Amino acid sequence: MISPRREALRIFFSSWVSKIGIALLVILLIFSIYALAAFPPEYGKLVWNNPKAWENYPKSVPPSWVNLFAESKYFEHKILESREPVTFRSPDGAIKMIYYFDLDYDADEFPKFFSMLIKDVTYWKSPPAITLRLLRPDGKAAELASFMVSSPREGESPPYTRYREEPFILKIDSDVNVWRSLSSFIKDNYGLMFSPSEIGRNPERFIFGSPAEGNFSTPLKGRYRFEVSVTAYDGRDSVGRISLILGGSVYGLLGTDVIGRDVATGVLLGFPTSLFIGIITSVIVTILGCLLGIIGGFFGGKTDEVVQRTSDIVYNLPLLPLTIFLIFLMGSSIWNIVLLLVVFGWPGLAIVTRSIALQLREAPFIEAAKSFGSSPWRIIFRHMLPQVTPFIVAQMIFYVPTFILLEAALSFLGLGDPSLPTWGQMLELGFRNGAIYLGLWWWIIPPGVMIVLTAFTFVLIALGMEPVVNPRLRTG
Amino acid sequence: MGLARTLTIRAVNLLLVLFLVLFLVVIIIGATGTSDKILMAIVRQEVSTYRQAISRTITDPEALEKAVETYKQELIRAYGLDKPWYTRIGDMLRRIIFLDLGVSKSLQTFTGSNRVIDLIVERLPNTVLLVTTATVVSFLIGLFVGVKLATAIGSRLDRALTYFSAISYALPTWWTGIIFILVFYFYLRIFPPGGMYSIPPPEDALARLLDLLWHAALPIIVLVLATVGSNIYVTRTVVINIAQEDFVMAARAKGLSERIIRWRYIARVAAPPILTQLILGLAGSIGGAILTETVFGWPGMGLLFYQAIVSSDEALILGLVYVFTLVYVIARFVLEVFYVILDPRVRI
Repeated sequence: MISPRREALRIFFSSWVSKIGIALLVILLIFSIYALAAFPPEYGKLVWNNPKAWENYPKSVPPSWVNLFAESKYFEHKILESREPVTFRSPDGAIKMIYYFDLDYDADEFPKFFSMLIKDVTYWKSPPAITLRLLRPDGKAAELASFMVSSPREGESPPYTRYREEPFILKIDSDVNVWRSLSSFIKDNYGLMFSPSEIGRNPERFIFGSPAEGNFSTPLKGRYRFEVSVTAYDGRDSVGRISLILGGSVYGLLGTDVIGRDVATGVLLGFPTSLFIGIITSVIVTILGCLLGIIGGFFGGKTDEVVQRTSDIVYNLPLLPLTIFLIFLMGSSIWNIVLLLVVFGWPGLAIVTRSIALQLREAPFIEAAKSFGSSPWRIIFRHMLPQVTPFIVAQMIFYVPTFILLEAALSFLGLGDPSLPTWGQMLELGFRNGAIYLGLWWWIIPPGVMIVLTAFTFVLIALGMEPVVNPRLRTG
Repeated sequence: MGLARTLTIRAVNLLLVLFLVLFLVVIIIGATGTSDKILMAIVRQEVSTYRQAISRTITDPEALEKAVETYKQELIRAYGLDKPWYTRIGDMLRRIIFLDLGVSKSLQTFTGSNRVIDLIVERLPNTVLLVTTATVVSFLIGLFVGVKLATAIGSRLDRALTYFSAISYALPTWWTGIIFILVFYFYLRIFPPGGMYSIPPPEDALARLLDLLWHAALPIIVLVLATVGSNIYVTRTVVINIAQEDFVMAARAKGLSERIIRWRYIARVAAPPILTQLILGLAGSIGGAILTETVFGWPGMGLLFYQAIVSSDEALILGLVYVFTLVYVIARFVLEVFYVILDPRVRI
């Protein structure tokens, strides 16, 4: 004799629908766990929704893989970070730290902008000198910029820290000294005359351009090297971080949004929130609905009357307008959203379980249990609940997509929890910024696909559960 | 008089729902101080009208200010704003029931009125037009496809449609709308991105109608897609269950044609549960309308709701919640009348 539970599992896993559903669920869970492990809980508030954190990223650019289909290659946004410097000591006591940045250039267009960021410089005696050198693939070298870290202020004592709160930013596009250096570099090495102001119109063209036709209009492909050398005068002096930012017109796996945020990161961050709201709400709703339904159906009388009247009324309310109204008044936190979804969600199940409980109450085995003197609660939990378990589980799974979609809808209407990034909120921002009318597909399609996929996973599992619950639908 | 009595009971039940929502809403807006804001907005509006009216007769600025201030205090007393909110519950209820819903602080009708009720009345027909059309289309498709499928369980078409229903259940209406705009407006340029008429609308009546259809096509398709899956699926399941009943087998044994069995024996019995599905889907359609109208810029109550949220317009949101519930209760009643006609068993 096969146990009913094993039999149920066998029927469940015999269909492809269930297998695909479970496989998708495992993938969703892996992504959620990864997102929770890789990003701190405060990430949403501190980084994701903070435009300053995304200053160095290109705005509204497509993913970098569009290059695979593009006739001329776009420049992919690059943020080059410093690694361990090579250190030289000269006899006069100066210490030279050189940071190398290598860039393989194979795009057919120039970067949109180019800047250098320095963070956290500490010195003890005299301020360090910093220079930025460029080495082109044709072997020519140029010194682009050279400057000193600001001197100690009056009354300041060592160690002197600079650029801690606000990093130092050298913007090639607006720095006249760089344009001058470039102008003389081009004159000395290629014998071509360009005034600094001419160069200032698009300095990247002259850093990465080919002199072949005399006008630097096409990029010179190959390996570029940038050297940032820091000359310090004390062994304890240090530099925190140096980065070179080259503005591209494509970025990452899924491009960026209007603030410059990485859409792929946003999509990843949406996994845990969406699953959490869907599953937790569904579990609470199912437990509450089933318990109330069974209690009402089993005890009958006044209890039943109260449960039935309440569920009838709540069930007959237009859900979305009221939820919107209440969230608007209560504030949009994830807990308020879950609370309201529960408050409006339970009656459907209560009504159905009640009718099942009414039938079960008259069943001979329940009569038998009663005649043995079992307490009502024992009968409910020991004899009635196991009978409806497959049905309850199926309902629970079937409710998950409903709540996932409702949360997404609320987020899309601008009522999502602002401290948590969700797919609905990404779509809301995209919609409000006219992403559809501008054709920014990479911003609109991925979050929506994720909502559909997550909801669909649970629909598949619920469909797989159906033959278990309703034997009439079994085939073969 | 079974029919009339049953319907009366249903109507009373629905009115109870409406009244309870109303009561709950009034308590909530009272306790959160929202009703104060809404009433103050009315007071400010009336005060500014009064100021304009008397500034022609009173020229002395000081006397004018004094008169305005007196009038304002009078109004505050009249609206009960000087007393705690719970003393105003009755007044507030009466106000809302008689559709005296206050003024919107951010939006106006085409004729320039900013009264909430005028705004809603202007937008209501557009929503009714959109939702009714979509619901009827979806219901008819669901009925015909569902019944057809039930007689061909396990066929390729059946399986394909099972998957389609599942996908359609998982598709957020508003996102489908966004994708449709991206594809049919941005890439293909065959449908407009939104709105109800071209600007300026065509003069000729027929051209106007065609223009309306052209604008309504995408929102209606989106709303139908969102609901048709579950309609087909429910019809199919109900019909499968009924097809296994004894009376169907008896009909087959009598040698009746499959057509007669399908439409007279099965569909007739399947109609009430399918209608139930429609009734249950009604609340969803209203929610769907809010989102779809927002996405397509369809000037109905849904878009108005979105605009009210974006501009935090308390009076407008309150009015819309009430009218949405009212419309829902009425639509629900109409469907229940159909139900009672279709299924004599529910008559008391």
